[in-house]
Amino acid sequence: MEEQVELVGKAFVDHYYHLFDNNRLSLASLYQPTSMLTFEGQQIQGGDGIARKLSELPFDHCQHLITTIDSQPSSSPGGVLVFVSGNLQLAGEEHELKFSQMFHLIPTLLGSFFVQNDIFRLNYG
Amino acid sequence: MDPDALAKAFVEHYYSTFDSNRANLGSLYQEPSMLTFEGLKIQGAQRIVSHLTSLPFQQCQHTFTTVDCQPSGPAGGMLVFVSGSLQLAGEQHALKFSQMFHLMPTPQGSFYVMNDIFRLNYA
Repeated sequence: MEEQVELVGKAFVDHYYHLFDNNRLSLASLYQPTSMLTFEGQQIQGGDGIARKLSELPFDHCQHLITTIDSQPSSSPGGVLVFVSGNLQLAGEEHELKFSQMFHLIPTLLGSFFVQNDIFRLNYG
Repeated sequence: MDPDALAKAFVEHYYSTFDSNRANLGSLYQEPSMLTFEGLKIQGAQRIVSHLTSLPFQQCQHTFTTVDCQPSGPAGGMLVFVSGSLQLAGEQHALKFSQMFHLMPTPQGSFYVMNDIFRLNYA
């Protein structure tokens, strides 16, 4: 069970940041109306609002470089908690930003996962 | 109590217990609880407390900078995401850390830690 959870976490993280770094608007497919994002303290609910917030962030290009991924089963049936830390390089910026993020993934009927809870924080030096 | 106030109260209680007497953390975990501490996975209150009390420092102080929380689902759980600093006695520089807790309600009206993930944030 544990190994499975780690595989889910890693696969999700790869997919999520690939979408983020290449086509932020398509992130909407990973959220549902009940989804919640807290982005640097700002709370947003629902896939549409979340995708809009992310696509309006004040940079065109970015790259996430992931350092650690930790996963655990949550109490929701089939749910997975994923805790990520890494670096965020914004185009044109000299120094990378450090960040931590947690996701609570819930299985969909189609055999994939959606993001029910998402919390993002920059880690300042 | 509003969820943000609840999350903050829990975090204050957790770190003050950690910083004053780590052995007392046992009451905050149960048998199904899971801790991933710097990548090491531990399950169950006893094993978790055993690991935390055997960390290689006597005294420490947690100072938290940010606390974010969200409800985790219909079972009444709460996700709490913390970032802050950890000062170890005798060390010149504080370590930075991030931690997430998934709190589940107990029948007595309080919360226990179902999931706990801790990571140091290296520069």
